[in-house]
Amino acid sequence: MELFVQSLVSGLLLGGLYAAVGVGLSLVFGIMGLTNIAHGCLMILSSFFIMVFARHMSGSVVAAFILTVLVMCVIGALLQGVLINRVLAKGPEPALLVTFGVAIVIWNVLQLIFGADFKSIPSPMASVNAVNTRWVVISGEYLFNFAVSAALILVLHLVIQKTLFGRAIRAAASNVVAAELMGINTGRTYIYIMCLALATGSVGGLLVGQTFGFYSYSGMSYLIIAFGVVVIGGMGSIIGTLLGGVILGVAQLLGAYFFGSGVQILVGYLTLLTLLTLRPRGLLGNMTRE
Amino acid sequence: MTAKRALHSLVPNGKSLGVKTFAVLVAAVASALLPLYGSDYAVSIGLLIFSYISLGQMWNLLAGYSGLVSLGQQAFIGIGAYTLAKVTTVYGQSIALSFFVTAVCAAAFAFVISFPIFKLSGVYFTIGTWIVSESALVFFRNWKFVNFDAGYNIVAAYKIPMGALYLGSFVIGVVSVALVFLILRSKIGLALMAMRDNPGAAEARGVYLYRTKLVCFLISSVYIAVTGVVLYLNIAYVKPGATFGIDWAVSMVFIVVIGGIGTIEGPILGAVIYVILRQYLYNFPGISMILLGAVAVTVILLAPKGIMGALHGRFGFELFSVRRTAAFDGPDREEGARISVKQRR
Repeated sequence: MELFVQSLVSGLLLGGLYAAVGVGLSLVFGIMGLTNIAHGCLMILSSFFIMVFARHMSGSVVAAFILTVLVMCVIGALLQGVLINRVLAKGPEPALLVTFGVAIVIWNVLQLIFGADFKSIPSPMASVNAVNTRWVVISGEYLFNFAVSAALILVLHLVIQKTLFGRAIRAAASNVVAAELMGINTGRTYIYIMCLALATGSVGGLLVGQTFGFYSYSGMSYLIIAFGVVVIGGMGSIIGTLLGGVILGVAQLLGAYFFGSGVQILVGYLTLLTLLTLRPRGLLGNMTRE
Repeated sequence: MTAKRALHSLVPNGKSLGVKTFAVLVAAVASALLPLYGSDYAVSIGLLIFSYISLGQMWNLLAGYSGLVSLGQQAFIGIGAYTLAKVTTVYGQSIALSFFVTAVCAAAFAFVISFPIFKLSGVYFTIGTWIVSESALVFFRNWKFVNFDAGYNIVAAYKIPMGALYLGSFVIGVVSVALVFLILRSKIGLALMAMRDNPGAAEARGVYLYRTKLVCFLISSVYIAVTGVVLYLNIAYVKPGATFGIDWAVSMVFIVVIGGIGTIEGPILGAVIYVILRQYLYNFPGISMILLGAVAVTVILLAPKGIMGALHGRFGFELFSVRRTAAFDGPDREEGARISVKQRR
């Protein structure tokens, strides 16, 4: 029974981390209808940036993270402005294939530079337990992950719903032509969105790097988790990603509790496929663009 | 169907079998006889090219003609490879039997997963197929029946001479081209083109969207599994990570995108470019994938329809015409009208 409660709580907190991994993907899909296959690889790229910067800045992860966000914004602007904006009008498939190509390039460049070894970002909270009772033990790290993700998603939600910038974004998402007639530069809005998505991806990269560590080829497996989160929550729904993350996290850890840790990932995938079959557009997916 | 009509349906626009057909036949015969005059290295390259032509054709049948962009077809390569390993290595049966068992297993698996994944459309379908394939990978790693993560050596494949392997690959490649050509010239092909141009109107005119897509998915999946058997007769070792790896999907996508999506010649050209580029860059591990990614991105940006699409758009060149009359051609009516005017002259 203790183990069951533990699995439930850990799954819930793990879900927060998953939501941070997925929210950028959801943003990009909901607003420009782009399936960004490179999302996972870009996230792992940010993990590598944080690791390298931290090494050169006397181990300050915070400073390294801020620098990484800036670098990722530049990369996002280039990616969107130079590559993706050009093919976006031609339908979803060409843009999807462009990001697929970008993903392959990033992952193999990382492999070429850093090899296939295990890497991680140092974490001050790795060995601290925030809660330690007979029923559950909650590590400080997991709690931190969840808090950061929940805050991130709340802020994103408020930005999109309450600010003028957010209104421009929503206008571009619902009708490109009408938005342009109202004086919104959708191409530039898309660039901002990609920057925002990669900034959230850097948060995901930081949390993943501290909690689990990463390999140069980890991007593709985190992309599947991001897809899972986003698909369960509903592509384009920001709050839905938190729900999706929690469902996927709980499903994985309860799967591990009932069937053993070897099939943990499989249970996650099967939950995902089942939910996808029952609700093909996600749980909160009604508000996204067609 | 009278003999004349049957012939007419095979020969586009009533044209006689001309220079192009002759060129194709000469190329086919020349490549079939490659083991007689080519070096071992040339034969091994040819072997890969024909296998990848088959993979490209089948992925193109889905993505280029049926609108089903799947990133999960590697699941069927895995099924083919593992069936071959189980039938020959574990049960000691013949390779011929393993082809048959593979086809049955792949058809069954494709049919079962079609229920959930055909509820998904567009990018959801793409993601769904990929997750199915990743699930299969994790499942095989934890499945005692297939020896967990250790895999098998395919001992039966060691004794096959290179020439026979090449011939198998040649047959699988050529038949894949012929199969896609015949499918597109059949009623299914017409239905697919109608669906691509306007799904709503096609359905109203009596095209069964679901059934047509399902038929294409089944054909593609079974054929990819059979190609998997041929590929693994050459590789001769199965392991979940490699057989169900995303790398297969990467190669299928690149072959079709670079060559030209939605054309029959595209995957042939794409496979030749892919295999030669990969072999050429074999000594620089890592770089070849980076270059392939960059090439694919460049091609999509500069020529979204691939090399064959660009050639056809500019010069009207095509080797295998799947058109009945030009008036039905493509989503672009003006283009169709232009071609038919040219032919009337």
